[in-house]
Order: sequence, then structure tokens, then C-alpha cells
Amino acid sequence: MSLFPGLSRRDFLKSCGVLAGLIGLSGPMAVPKVAKALEELAKRPAIVWSCFQECLGCSVSLLQSRKPNPANLILKQISVNYHEGIMAAAGTQAEKSFRETVDSKDFYYVVEGGIATGIPDACTIGGKTSMEICKDTYQKAKATIAIGTCACYGGIQAAAPNPSGSKGVADFLKEDGGITNPTVINSPRCPGNADDTVAILLYVLVKKELPELDDLGRPKFLFGQLVHDNCERRGHFDAGEFVEAFGDEGSDKGWCLYKVGCKGPVAYAPCPTTRWNGDITWPVMAGGPCIGCSEPDFWDKQSPFYEKAPGIKLPGDITPTQVAVGLGALAAVGIGAHAIGQVATGRMFKGAPVEDMEDEGSEEGGK
Amino acid sequence: MTKVVIDPITRIEGHLRITCVVENGKVTDAWNTATMFRGFEIFMKDRDPKGIWQFAQRICGVCPTPHAFNSVRTVETALGMDKVPDSARLVRNMMEAAQLGYDHILWFYHLNGFDYVNVPNTLQAKASTPGLKAVQDQVKAVVDSGQLGPFANMYWDHPGYKLPAELDLEITAHYLQALEIQQKACDASAMLGGRYPMINNYVPGGVTQMPSIEDIEYYISQMSVVKDFIDTVMVPDLLAIAPFYLDLAGYGKGVGNFLSWGVLDEKSQDPYDRLFPRGGIFDGKLELQKVDLNETRQYTKYSWFGDGVGAGKHPLNVGQEPIDFTKLPPIEGEGLPEGKYDWTQAVRYGKDDHPMEVGPLAQLLIAYLAGRPEATKLVDDTLAAIGHAGDPTVLLSNLGRVAARVIKAKINSDNALRWANELLENIGKGETTVYEELDFSKDGTGQSGWDAPRGALAHYAKLSDNKIDTYAAVPPSNWNLSPRDDKGVRGPVEEALVGTPVIDPEKPLEILRTVHTFDP
Repeated sequence: MSLFPGLSRRDFLKSCGVLAGLIGLSGPMAVPKVAKALEELAKRPAIVWSCFQECLGCSVSLLQSRKPNPANLILKQISVNYHEGIMAAAGTQAEKSFRETVDSKDFYYVVEGGIATGIPDACTIGGKTSMEICKDTYQKAKATIAIGTCACYGGIQAAAPNPSGSKGVADFLKEDGGITNPTVINSPRCPGNADDTVAILLYVLVKKELPELDDLGRPKFLFGQLVHDNCERRGHFDAGEFVEAFGDEGSDKGWCLYKVGCKGPVAYAPCPTTRWNGDITWPVMAGGPCIGCSEPDFWDKQSPFYEKAPGIKLPGDITPTQVAVGLGALAAVGIGAHAIGQVATGRMFKGAPVEDMEDEGSEEGGK
Repeated sequence: MTKVVIDPITRIEGHLRITCVVENGKVTDAWNTATMFRGFEIFMKDRDPKGIWQFAQRICGVCPTPHAFNSVRTVETALGMDKVPDSARLVRNMMEAAQLGYDHILWFYHLNGFDYVNVPNTLQAKASTPGLKAVQDQVKAVVDSGQLGPFANMYWDHPGYKLPAELDLEITAHYLQALEIQQKACDASAMLGGRYPMINNYVPGGVTQMPSIEDIEYYISQMSVVKDFIDTVMVPDLLAIAPFYLDLAGYGKGVGNFLSWGVLDEKSQDPYDRLFPRGGIFDGKLELQKVDLNETRQYTKYSWFGDGVGAGKHPLNVGQEPIDFTKLPPIEGEGLPEGKYDWTQAVRYGKDDHPMEVGPLAQLLIAYLAGRPEATKLVDDTLAAIGHAGDPTVLLSNLGRVAARVIKAKINSDNALRWANELLENIGKGETTVYEELDFSKDGTGQSGWDAPRGALAHYAKLSDNKIDTYAAVPPSNWNLSPRDDKGVRGPVEEALVGTPVIDPEKPLEILRTVHTFDP
């Protein structure tokens, strides 16, 4: 019975190698360095994990972790002192676990789900609102990680008209919590990805520093590249070979999904490289277009999901990378789809004219 | 009279407070309160119908697949499509079966298990194999470290824990093993759907692509491991622990009305022909009735919405505004819920406003009454094994709900492999169409009922000008965790709690058990 794969020294070192690669350590000393750091964690670092306005998908996603697997993660590497989804205790006894850990100030804080700021009572736990819990816990934590697009940017319940006033952790702390320049590591995608979560935790624990973040609070070592640039179907984009409708010849041949709505050209995420569920697959492999779930407000800005992303240059004029990088960078500083359209049509910087968007009836930014 | 409040209820999806009145060692009244609101029906309005299912599956990250199914099916029915191509049916069935496999394993071991299995007690066991010894050593290392993590502060000294230490150890080992097995089922789903949770291959009209033969064979290999685990570990675990907890048959009976919209299509794609067929049971009489999606009614007198929002209306005519939030009484001290106390609207069935229990027990009882051979045999075998041969009414209890999930997991995983083989046969016959383009310029009203792992789930939508005019989802927790309706009748969980024994109000283990049997 293999209850603890990864227990042998050989497997342990192999895991360390994978982790070293994930967090950007290289060279002959990388593996020993990670191994030593992990072994020195005599006391398992304590985790407090808050679920606010969420669907538990990020936690289910974390259960799909392979290096380490969830049993090792929970029993050997971290001490999950509070997580409503998995903890045995409930009610006042659960609150006791929460208080003991938070008051010790010796813990890392993980948030899943948005913070209800418009209707504070739209999310309460133990009689306290998500706003009260999040601010107090953030102030006592050694570091705070927002897992999934809801905790990063408000996510689905923040889709227009955002009925409950849901916000991501950093925006809430800044705009409603009175905290200037809060430090929150954002790990978006919908759901959050297990490998991202583990990599960020290990980066912080092993390197004892925060990873370098982009303007949206995302670690650059994970979210530095466009989905489009690493997509295995990229060659078909460059060759002008597109799926025109699901079930057509291009669909059978695995051609590019751009014309049926793929948002890979505007989404920064490592999906095509680290993939999902271990590393067996990722959304485009199923023949469905990327919905851009790593980007803020993607429910509004990247939808309709089955219509072309507005303003992407097709092959034949300037190179897709030029346009894609330019668009992605603008998306990254929060300029919406409308502005992206302007860039691509040459109104904001020089470029060849783009494909005429009118014939497809595509609406910029969706709803 | 003692007031007992549990907030948060842990090991569930969502946010839940339970308030009970305990008198003479038993619950005499109960209120359930969902403490979160997100407003899906509000922000789904005016969206693109083709992509609305991507929103819908985010209603639940534990069970995204049935939400995805109902959403694409709702749009398909609104646009006049009665059936999807047969290979698309099989892909959707395989995805659903993989989701059910993971979900029921997760519930039995990881969400429900700690109510019956005493983890610290494993240290008293005589470990009979090296594998069990390794688990015991690991638990000991965690206990000795003083960092109990997720096992801290539980009611481990409660007399309600009755398993011998050896059985506690064995099931704790299976708890860890099950963490890996659930990944197999999720991988099977991910290989077809692009990832799990939050799949990417559904679309109104079918699925995005035909899986390759390699993908299908991968699915078969993963689901074979899942099936093997359910047959050789999970079912035996149920039968091993049941004799120690037969008292569970004595409480948690609930409302005695059961509803299932059915799940897992056979070739006809007729809901009454499904592996778990559509049907209803009323007033505790074990007779099968037909049911209608349009007999769902909602009430808001006790929910944090205006009274007129619900008022017994059809889901598509119910709104979510205006919101009318009032505070709850404090956890400590005096005060019981009065007036509005829940973000969930009360859902009732038919002109008599029946509160309906939904979930695996409902699905299994309906399959049993419909004479499905697998359900009949497994139910009869289980009744014999627990000493109640020929008496299915004993299943109307907490024990029945626990047993039903395990039996259903078995039936489901057996059939997952059958559908995978049917899909291979379709490839052999050249039946590889999985998608038909729909005419989105049409207007229409659609609906779909297809059960989630935790019970009856329906979606409804009105389409107009290629936009969502109105959308409504009625998930299983809206049935089970309904608050009181406008007539003051309790919801199913509230009713099941009444009569639940409570030995120690400071450690209300029995209340957790009753609530968790519903997988809320």
C-alpha cells in the first residue's frame, strides 16, 4: 500500500528538484538547498485558510496536488490549523483553533473567495463578516496569499452589477480596510491551481522572501507569459488554421481555437506549460477555448467566451507576438477591452491594420 | 431549555449556521441559516446564452459538472433541441460519473468520516500490517508534534465514538488512500474536460470535441481504480462500521418526501429512463410518483428577501431583489431566530407545498421503487447485512443517508465503464458527431433537471434576443436547507434535526452527524 508516495529519500529529492524548478532555483545546489530548507522546517508552518464568497473549487483544486500529494502536504509539510472544508472541529471549537493560531501571529494566511463589502452580511462566519475577519487576520499573518480569481480580484460574484460588492483581498484592504499598500500575493485562475499554491507557499518558506510580483500582484515566475505564446496549437494560429465551429475538420485536427473565442492571446498564465490535474491536460486540450480566467474582471472583460477576443491581429500582417505582448501588457495594467481594441486598430500606437471585426458582430468586452 | 448554535458548520461546501433548542437531551426545534449570498441570478442576466454555462458551473466548485450539464441542457431545450448526439450523451455521462465517483468518496471519508472515526484513538490500536503501522506512526508524529492541524479541538472524548481502535486506524488509513483515489476520478474527468474542477468541453449543442481512443482508455484505467476502491474498500468500510452505529437508524428521519430529477442518461435521453430515474415519494409512502419541474415553488417570508419575491412563485418568476437583511441573534446568550433568518429561499413542491428531501437516499429509493435491478439487489443486500431484511423504511434515517451514498457510488462506478465502452463502440460504428450548431436567433424558455451528487438540481432560463432574459438555478441545498416556508413549515434538515439526541450540548456531535448526512 502506497499511502505516502514521496516518503523515500529518492522520491523526496525528486520532489525537491521539481519544486526547485517551479520556484526558479537552478544550478547544482538547487536540490540540496530545497531539501535542506524543507527538512529544517522542524515545526510545520501553520496555515489559516479562510473561505469567503467562494464555491470551494480552489480547495478541491488543491486536493489535486501531486508534488507533494495532499496527504503529505497536510500531515508532513504544513499544519492546516483552520480550513472549514477539511477541519474536524466545528462551531466554537473551530473558532478556538482559529483564535489560537491567529493570536500566535505565527502563521501564513490563505484566502479563497471574495470579500463582501457592499452587503457585509452577505458573508459571515461565526457571526463575523468577511471584512472583519480578513482585515484582522491579514494584520497578524506573516504573509497573505489570495488563491483563485475571487480572492485576487472579486471573481464571479463581482461580475457586473456585482450585487454584493465583492472585492479581492488587496482591493478590500486598500479601499475599505484603510491599509495603504497591502502586501498580498495573488494567485489567480478559476479555480486556483494546486501547483501555483504549493509553489508560492514553498517559495515563501524556502527562500524566506516574497516572489517578485507583477502590477496585478501575481508572481512573475508563474504569471509572466501569455497562454498564447506557450500553446501547443500556436503553430496553427501562425499558419492561419482555425476551428470555425466545434465538431468541424479543424476541431478534429486540433487547430487554433481563436475564432471560437480563445482568450489565450490576452491571458497570462502557465496553463500550457505546467498544465492541470498533475500535468495531464489543460482547458485547450479539451477543444474548448481559454476563457482568460487569470485576468481581473474576466467575467465581464473576456466574455462572451465563445466570440473572438476583440482586436487580435491575425497572421499575415505584423507578428502575433508583437500584438499579443502589447495587448497583454495593457491588459495587465488594467486597461479594458475597449482600449485593447484601440491599440490593435492602431489608434494608440503604430501597427498594421487589424482584421475587420465588424463582420462577426463581436462586441467589445461583452456585457 | 438549552440553545445550541454551531457556526461554522465545517466539512461542507458553503457557509452554514445551525441553531437548535435542546430539551431533555433531544433537539426540539431547529433553524438552518446559509450565511453567504452571491447573486448568480442577478449577474447572469443579459449574458450570452452560449457561454452562460461557464458562469453556472461556478455555483459549486465541489459539483461543477451537473451545473454545467443543466445549464447547457436548459439552453438546448429553450432553442428546441430535444436530444444531443449519442456520443455527446456518452461523454457527458462519463464526465458526470467521474464527478460522482470523486464526490461520494470525498464525502464518505473526508467530509463525513470524522463524525464516526476517532483519529487520536488510532494510537491505541494494534497495527496488523506494515502499512497500518506506517499510518499509526504518522498520526503519532502529528500528535507528538503538538500541531494537530485539522484534527485539533474536535470532540474526540465524546462517548458517541464507538469504533474499536483497530477499525479507527484502518479507516484513517483509507481516509489517506482516498485522497489519492479521488484524484483518479478527477483525472478521468479532466482528461475529457480539460481540467477538474471547472471543466471546459461542454457547449450548448453537445461537447467541443470527440475524445480520442487513448483518452477513453485513460478514462477506463482511472475509473477502474475508482471502482476497485469502492468495491473492495468503501463498501466493506460501510458494512464494518454500520453495526457500531445502528442507533443512527433511530433519528434523522426528516420530512418523508423525496425528490429526484434523475441523472445519467440512457440512449433514449428520457429522464424516466435514466440510471437513476426521475420521480417523487410523498408522505413517507414508498410509492413512486411522476414529478414536474414546473411544480417547484419558492417562498421568502423567512429569507432575507422581500416577502413578495417568493410568494409561491415559479423559479423564473422569483427575483433576488429587494434584499431585506435582518440580523441573527448572537451565538452566545439568549435569542432564537425570529422572522427572516436565511439567505436560502424556501423551495417547495406542488400545490400542497411539500418540503422535499433530495440526495442519494432519494435517488436510491426512487431507483428501488422503479425496480432497477442493481439498486434493488444492493438495497436488499444491505438491509440483510444490517439485520433489517425486507424493511426499506429503516433507510428513512441518518443511517439510510450514509448507506445510500455508498451504494450509489458503487452503481455509478460500475456503469461509468459501460458508457466508456459504448463510446468506443460508437467510434467503431463511425458515430463520432458530438456537436450540432443551434440557432441562437430564436427566443424560448428552457429547463433541465439532472441531479447533482447531493441531490435534485434544476436550471431554468428564458432566452430573448440571444441574451439571457431570466435565469434561475434551484440547487439541492435549496431543497434540503430550505428555511421555513410562508406557512411556517420547517425545511428537511430542520425537520430531521428534531428528535436528534444530544448527550452534551457543549459537544453537539449528533447534530453534526444529522446535518452531514445531507452533504449540505
